[in-house]
Amino acid sequence: MNTDYRQARYKMDLLMERGEGRMLKDNPLPEGIARKKAPDIPDLPKHEVVRYFNRLSQMNYGIDTGFYPLGSCTMKYNPKYTEKLASLPEATDIHPYHPEEFSQGNLEIMWELQNSLAELGGMHSVSLQPAAGAHGEITGLMIAHQYHKDNNEERNEIILPDTAHGTNPASVSMLDYNLLEIPSKEGCVDLDALEEAAGDNTAVFMITNPNTLGLFEKDACQMAEIVHDAGGLLYYDGANLNAIMGKTTPGAMDFDIMHFNLHKTFGTPHGGGGPGSGPVGVTEELASYLPVPIVEKKGDGYRLNYDLENTIGRVKGFYGNWLVLLKAYGYILKEGKDGLERATERAVLNSNYLREKLQGVLDLPYKPLRKHEFVLSGKRLKDKGLKTKDLAKRLLDYGYHAPTIYFPLLVDEALMIEPTETESKDTLDGFAEAFASIMDEDEETIKEAPKNTAVGRVDETKAIRDSVLSYMMRD
Amino acid sequence: MTKREEKDMLDLLEIDEVEQLFEDIPEEVRVELDMPEGLTEMELMSKVKDKLKKNHIESSSFLGAGIYEHFIPSAVQEIIGKSEFYTSYTPYQAEISQGMLRALFEYQSLIAELTGLGAVNTSMYDHSTALAEAVLMSTRINRKGDTFLMPKNTHWDHDPILKNYLRGKDIDMKLVDHDDKGQIDIEDLKEKIGDDTIGFYVGSPNIFGILEEEVDTFKDLREDNGCVMVVGTNPLILSLMKPPGEWGADIVVGDSQPLGIPMAYGGPSVGMFSCRKKHIRRMPGRIIGETEDSQGKRAYCMTLQTREQHIRRERATSNICTNQALMALASAVFTFIQGSTGLERLAKENYEKAHDVARRINELEGFEAPYFKSEFFNEFTVKTPMDSDSLYGECQKRDVLPGVPLDKKEKFSSLPSSMLTAVTETKTEKEIEKLIVALKEVVA
Repeated sequence: MNTDYRQARYKMDLLMERGEGRMLKDNPLPEGIARKKAPDIPDLPKHEVVRYFNRLSQMNYGIDTGFYPLGSCTMKYNPKYTEKLASLPEATDIHPYHPEEFSQGNLEIMWELQNSLAELGGMHSVSLQPAAGAHGEITGLMIAHQYHKDNNEERNEIILPDTAHGTNPASVSMLDYNLLEIPSKEGCVDLDALEEAAGDNTAVFMITNPNTLGLFEKDACQMAEIVHDAGGLLYYDGANLNAIMGKTTPGAMDFDIMHFNLHKTFGTPHGGGGPGSGPVGVTEELASYLPVPIVEKKGDGYRLNYDLENTIGRVKGFYGNWLVLLKAYGYILKEGKDGLERATERAVLNSNYLREKLQGVLDLPYKPLRKHEFVLSGKRLKDKGLKTKDLAKRLLDYGYHAPTIYFPLLVDEALMIEPTETESKDTLDGFAEAFASIMDEDEETIKEAPKNTAVGRVDETKAIRDSVLSYMMRD
Repeated sequence: MTKREEKDMLDLLEIDEVEQLFEDIPEEVRVELDMPEGLTEMELMSKVKDKLKKNHIESSSFLGAGIYEHFIPSAVQEIIGKSEFYTSYTPYQAEISQGMLRALFEYQSLIAELTGLGAVNTSMYDHSTALAEAVLMSTRINRKGDTFLMPKNTHWDHDPILKNYLRGKDIDMKLVDHDDKGQIDIEDLKEKIGDDTIGFYVGSPNIFGILEEEVDTFKDLREDNGCVMVVGTNPLILSLMKPPGEWGADIVVGDSQPLGIPMAYGGPSVGMFSCRKKHIRRMPGRIIGETEDSQGKRAYCMTLQTREQHIRRERATSNICTNQALMALASAVFTFIQGSTGLERLAKENYEKAHDVARRINELEGFEAPYFKSEFFNEFTVKTPMDSDSLYGECQKRDVLPGVPLDKKEKFSSLPSSMLTAVTETKTEKEIEKLIVALKEVVA
């Protein structure tokens, strides 16, 4: 098998180590608030800074480097035209308080994006303000909170299935809701358990569909009925929307509130951790609760509307991550109805194909048909004294990013694999071969992996023990 | 994908068409999208460019209030445009992500150096959300109180956002007045602070562009009342201003946008977040730590992850997952290109230009600048001789955006007709002259 992958390895000091302290002179600020010593940041020739960061880029792995099957994250190829669009001066050099008359281009694009997302989600209205998926989640819960409050209802419970993304329970706690977690049955929501859990205290039931095992929750409409009958609202976590575009919508499945992850479904880059964008969509009944402003069309022009009757107010400064919105807008326009549907079909085909190739190599819990991702169990590795983590590290040596590991929690030694639609059959075949090849390797090789990356296995325990979180904290 | 490829894949799955993979989606929830068909890249580019051209960006703008126009060296875009960086995600696999990890550690180190607090995370969404998270963190540090004190002289977006983040909690957000110099009214603060106080916020520069001078008083009030002090600031002034860590801050927040990030209609920017070392386990967000690899080589990884949602779920310190990492990288590259000397020069240039423009506006008949007589950085209040909206509208016709009308914001409606004017290094003499002429003409 091919393990020729070699990541660059540079031994370099931190730039921060090269600072030389000096005193500040001629500080115009009043004595009491003036800095005495200049910040200890090095003065370096520009090209040395560029060279340093260029070398760092060579010690990093992105989708443009290779296959990145990180489950739940939808690491599809990021088209380059969106980067070009987001670098145009008309897009970058515009202040958030720029007059509406002078920002018609932005407003028109945002208005059209609100509408496209509403169509793709089967929702009535959309706010583009949330900056990320988790931010969209908490915004959705704030909307539900206000809605129940306006109906004079004290509902303090939110129900989640045990397959939920970690952000779901964390969002629930941030707003001090009580969390009610219901166990799954054969990987999907157990309707009986939901029926039992739902009641007068139910504020919201949150799920993603397909769920984190990649299984489509075909009882979605019955769930909606149960929750609505109890007086609660349904929240759709949009992380897995890439699996259903053009086939169904959260709206069609009777969800009331949802978020979109533009950085997953609509091809905007993940930026080493962000920025993303997490617009929120709602039904007509909840439209007046959205954060303000939203963009509206008035005559031939567009304007920011701050006047929504029941608005929760704001969740972020200004109007959202505009440049990310612009990229997603470009992606949706370029792909169109046909392209988006094809993306979903191909994502699901790729996922099922790779699942078929790998299910003999490791164990596949639950029935086979998957949507855009699937979860394997690495429990048989234990016989060799290995863990899923070891396998993940060895995959790096073969030039692949590892799948998401140890999630979802209900699968022992889980590996969550999402190939996305942009990968070819050859790539998937190569990945499957690497998997099989690793399973034939001796334990030592796997345990000592990775060897081909910029550094060897990183000591995470030491990082916690030392807790050096900046150069300043070294001593 | 070729037909052949697709057929091979379907064969392995023993099915005839892709549609069979969607048999688990019931008929009654099926939809047909009502959207146009796709475009070629050439069509797309021209279509979107035409729309963007409807923006008019040539005005001489003196708008600030949280987002500032600064010059960005070309090298910044060049670096964050490297696809090894921008097409990666959160560095879950440390060994193959050392580049981003190290770059973010450098960012954390820079922010620590500027704020004077050693523990820094890799970013929150923006200033407002960083502040809201800081208040939530304050409740984890100080469990005895039920009130958080917010001065009135803060951005109008902060209050509604904080209120939303405090939903479901029995925590009262109490406003503290400002004095006639635009600074926090110390007497009001002293009156409102007490045993029930979780913490208080100090913005410096505050929304009026003013640097709060009573820093020793804040320090004492924090200690005497055993509460948390959260400071919000602009990282650029921190090259001249005494670091908040030296005057008692427990948490420092702000926006790194002035460091190498375009205005971009307000986003993406970077929520800056740093705190005292003793509070690290209560912090929200991703944090990069320094460590070693199996060979004893220096290495970096995400650390203290048991605070985070993907490990701790409902017991996490925050729900944040995706953040603004690439923009943090932009700020780091920008700051290293400036260096300590360049940063100081830039801050001084902003300070001097803003003071010069304030003087010139003050000389105009009917204007008062700054309206609040306190030390300011690169932004100041202007009392206007006519309604601030009308003044703005008239200036706009002359292609000048003189500043954000301030008294039109609900929380500042008791102020006389006024605006908030920002002057950065990007303002040329020609633009400044254009502003002065416009103001003169409009009120004439």
